[in-house]
Amino acid sequence: MTPARRAARTGLVSVIAVTALLPLAFLIALSVSAEWFYPSLLPRRWTVENWNVLRGESAAIGRALSMSVALALGTGGITAIAGLVAGREIARLDGWRRRIAVALAFLPVAVPPLALSIGLQYSVLRAGFGGRLGGVLFAHIVPALGYTTIFFIGIFAVFDWKVEDEARSLGAGPRDVLIRVTIPLLRRPLVEAFALGFLVSWAQVPLTLLIGQGLVSTLPLELMSYVSAGQDHLAATAGLILTIPPMVLLVMAGLAVRRLRVVVP
Amino acid sequence: MSDRENGDAAMDSRLRGNDGGHPTEARKHGEQRREFGLLAAIVVASPVLVGVGYSVLGALGVAGPGADGLGMRHVQSVVADGATWRGLLWSLWIASASTAIAAVLAMAVATVFRGGRVSDRLVRFMALGPLPVPHVVAALCGLLIFSQSGLLSRIAFATGLHSSPADMPALTNDRYGIGLILTLVWKEFAFLALVAFSVIARRGAALEETARSLGAGALQSFRVAVLPALWRGLLPSIVAVFTFVAGNYEAAVLLAPSSPLALPLLTMERFTDSALGVRGEAFVLVLLAMVVSIAGVAAHEWAAGRAEAGD
Repeated sequence: MTPARRAARTGLVSVIAVTALLPLAFLIALSVSAEWFYPSLLPRRWTVENWNVLRGESAAIGRALSMSVALALGTGGITAIAGLVAGREIARLDGWRRRIAVALAFLPVAVPPLALSIGLQYSVLRAGFGGRLGGVLFAHIVPALGYTTIFFIGIFAVFDWKVEDEARSLGAGPRDVLIRVTIPLLRRPLVEAFALGFLVSWAQVPLTLLIGQGLVSTLPLELMSYVSAGQDHLAATAGLILTIPPMVLLVMAGLAVRRLRVVVP
Repeated sequence: MSDRENGDAAMDSRLRGNDGGHPTEARKHGEQRREFGLLAAIVVASPVLVGVGYSVLGALGVAGPGADGLGMRHVQSVVADGATWRGLLWSLWIASASTAIAAVLAMAVATVFRGGRVSDRLVRFMALGPLPVPHVVAALCGLLIFSQSGLLSRIAFATGLHSSPADMPALTNDRYGIGLILTLVWKEFAFLALVAFSVIARRGAALEETARSLGAGALQSFRVAVLPALWRGLLPSIVAVFTFVAGNYEAAVLLAPSSPLALPLLTMERFTDSALGVRGEAFVLVLLAMVVSIAGVAAHEWAAGRAEAGD
């Protein structure tokens, strides 16, 4: 490599490093600082007091965090199981039935969440779940179930059905086959589907806003209200808390892929 | 009969060598499976179907806030309103520009850093930095960096380029959505780069080798072998990103201008309007957004079919 090319390459690596990581570094700096006025490049003081919003009497972020965690865990758990069941049934179809079923499963993923919220709001309100955790959980499940169903259609497309047939031939009933054979075999995809459902709920804004009617406050909504109030330091803190779980899930997925590579070179 | 008994009966039948001895029952079982499959798909899609149905009724003035009797008034006023088309075009502009720039950058980075050197691997790792960042947090970063008192403006001041926030060009809530586009490029680049890295890792080396063995030079083998495969492999993800970005609400609400109003923001404004009569228009806008998404899905299927054909 010529020196000029090496210099260009080093320059490019630096640009990528700065653009990829600087915004996150800036968020971290904002979350542990105060009195950072224009045009200073550095804050007047460093402090962890922004993180106090997680506890204490006015623990707004803490409450929103609990709500977000509850919704994401519920959505992840329910849609991982329901997606497995739906994906398994759809994957067994063929011909036009399969095409229609896949297109139907794709609908909740394709429709923008805002359009979905407006379409769903009336039904949820009529059912008495508007502005309540149950209503928002149901709303989050709708797109998440689309994602996990499509995910499992893909998993079952390459699934070895003979294992189930073997179990059946040994006397297992349909429920036994599902609980004792299929689910244990699909433990890893189930965890991945849980993560998928978790993330769809975790970052959700329009569905929470319209179905929750401002009464169910999650971390993304709290972040937006901090932005409109001009509280950048608290918004950055909320933003960081929102980024940590997806980051952990990504690292776990990366490690799992690496482990898989060891097994399957 | 319990599941266990069902299973026992099946086993008995096999042990007796009666496998497949009941064609009518087997067919009935197959039919049942098909019904389950279709039923499962309907259950998954039913809330959306209910939502679409309700939006159609709302658009026709039969249901929802602002229902004032069957008619095409809401549709007519939305179609006649210039804000609708400005909002749609603006959203499509943002989606096109951000997706195109992110795709070109992803392809370039995946190509330049496709080797096995430490710097290649480091870049491939760093490029995924924005991947776990939710869109609302990405929009917050955009706001904190591109606003007139943001990080970029501070750096310009420190280096003597600017002497006040007013010297900084408006990059947030601006007419052309520059800040929004840059933010979405940053966010979507990571996803497209991930797919591009995987396409190159899966097919790039073999294709390049084949092209070289046929006498092509380094640049030519890249142009005729790697680039087309990369494009085909990346296209379904490009379409998915475009569709997602066009309908995204949270990034637009933090970074888009009030004029022209992006389609998701216009829809929300109409739906929460204090004049109930105007709320019916939101349903028409919802249907318009759905048309854009369904066109996106059709394009995605077409692109995925092409990518599979190329594999």
